[in-house]
Amino acid sequence: MDYILQGFKEAISLIIRLDPEVFEIVFMSLLVSTSATILASSFLIPIGVYLGIKKFKGKRMVSRIIYTSMSIPTVIVGLVVAIILSRRGPLGYLDLMYTPKAMVIAQTLLLIPLVLGLTYSLAKSRGSNISNVSFTLGGSKFDSVVLIIKELRVDILVNVATAFSRAISEVGAVMIVGGNIKGHTRVITTSISMMNSMGDYPMAIALGIILLIISFFINSFIYSYGQED
Amino acid sequence: MRLDIENIKKTYGDKIVLDISNMTIKEGKITGITGPNGSGKSTLLNIISYIDDNFSGKVKYNGMDFSKEVAKNITYVFQKPYLLRRSVYDNIVYPLKLRKVDNKSQTKYANDIMKRLEIEDLSNKRGQQLSGGESQKVALARALVFKPKLLLLDEPTSNIDSESVKIMEREIVNFNKETSGTVLIVTHNLEQAQRICDEVISLDSGKVRN
Ligand SMILES: Nc1ncnc2c1ncn2[C@@H]1O[C@H](COP(=O)(O)OP(=O)(O)OP(=O)(O)O)[C@@H](O)[C@H]1O
Ligand SMILES: [Mg+2]
Repeated sequence: MDYILQGFKEAISLIIRLDPEVFEIVFMSLLVSTSATILASSFLIPIGVYLGIKKFKGKRMVSRIIYTSMSIPTVIVGLVVAIILSRRGPLGYLDLMYTPKAMVIAQTLLLIPLVLGLTYSLAKSRGSNISNVSFTLGGSKFDSVVLIIKELRVDILVNVATAFSRAISEVGAVMIVGGNIKGHTRVITTSISMMNSMGDYPMAIALGIILLIISFFINSFIYSYGQED
Repeated sequence: MRLDIENIKKTYGDKIVLDISNMTIKEGKITGITGPNGSGKSTLLNIISYIDDNFSGKVKYNGMDFSKEVAKNITYVFQKPYLLRRSVYDNIVYPLKLRKVDNKSQTKYANDIMKRLEIEDLSNKRGQQLSGGESQKVALARALVFKPKLLLLDEPTSNIDSESVKIMEREIVNFNKETSGTVLIVTHNLEQAQRICDEVISLDSGKVRN
């Protein structure tokens, strides 16, 4: 049991000392997952809202496809991106494999169905009232989408945070396309997994604590934003 | 705006809920629609406003088909209106913003309509915090503020105290007189229909009753 306590003590000291390696890893995690979240959200939120309120043939089928792809396994996304970006793959000439950009691409693809599905189902259940207001007051389809995003901003923000949480806590995709290269593509989750197998508990615990603090911070931010309204 | 309704049929499954072969709503008049629950009154307004475009038959607006231009001149106040998560004032100026009316005129028109409906004291309240009756008043203000050519009202005074009913009726009539806007109002209150309507159409099981 002693080594656990010891691990915690050293972990705290790593954080308090602002250990450069720890902070490099945390920074890379935040950079990759934030970029992926912003990329996926900025395109998929308007599309999800639009599809949610639009009436069209085959909407049931589309719902089914969207909902089933929401839970796509991270390693599958990682694998697909790796095949495409690998030296012999169709986009191999871009030389992106094992770079932070590859990790952003993989996480963006991972988040696309999630953001789309969450926004789509939100707009489908609560958007029609709002789009009716816009429509009956002379607004276009575009005006309706904008109004729905504004009206449901708190719920949408919660969805964005959910997406970010999925990104920052996943290991599969970033491990495969990033390769956990020290000082280059190493992020919180890939480090924890590696340090655990090497028995380096203090570092793993320190990163684990930081990951918890990040998610706590995001959730309390959402909570206070929700209260404002 | 004049409305000509030709052979409209609306079904849910094999149940026909609306079946009107011919009906004209005269321009510049206030027409009442009455009828028992489930007789198709709201369905008719949904079709005229194109909130529901899944029906057979035709509605002509001044002789024309429904279009974006037509949509800009029609408005519809629901029985249970949805107010936006912003102040009452901002709710009321929303249709003016959609029409790119300048800020100064927005303020002028909004203040004017709030004064007429005697709801100035609600101006800074949040739309979502209003009572049912207050919401109906604000929704009427939001519809009148841009002076539509056709105003559709679904039981606009169902939650309203008698004092406020008078105010709302007065402003509906004033709107009609001042702008010659056409009004179609669903009401269960026959006295109200007599007070403000030029004509009354009665629906029963989806059909016009003569
Ligand atoms: N989504 C729906 N699915 C099936 N039936 C429906 C649907 N919407 C309305 N109906 C039916 O259509 C008929 C007409 O409804 P409508 O809302 O137009 O009645 P109404 O005259 O406005 O009644 P009320 O006075 O209660 O408001 C009713 O029999 C109702 O049950
Ligand atoms: Mg009704």
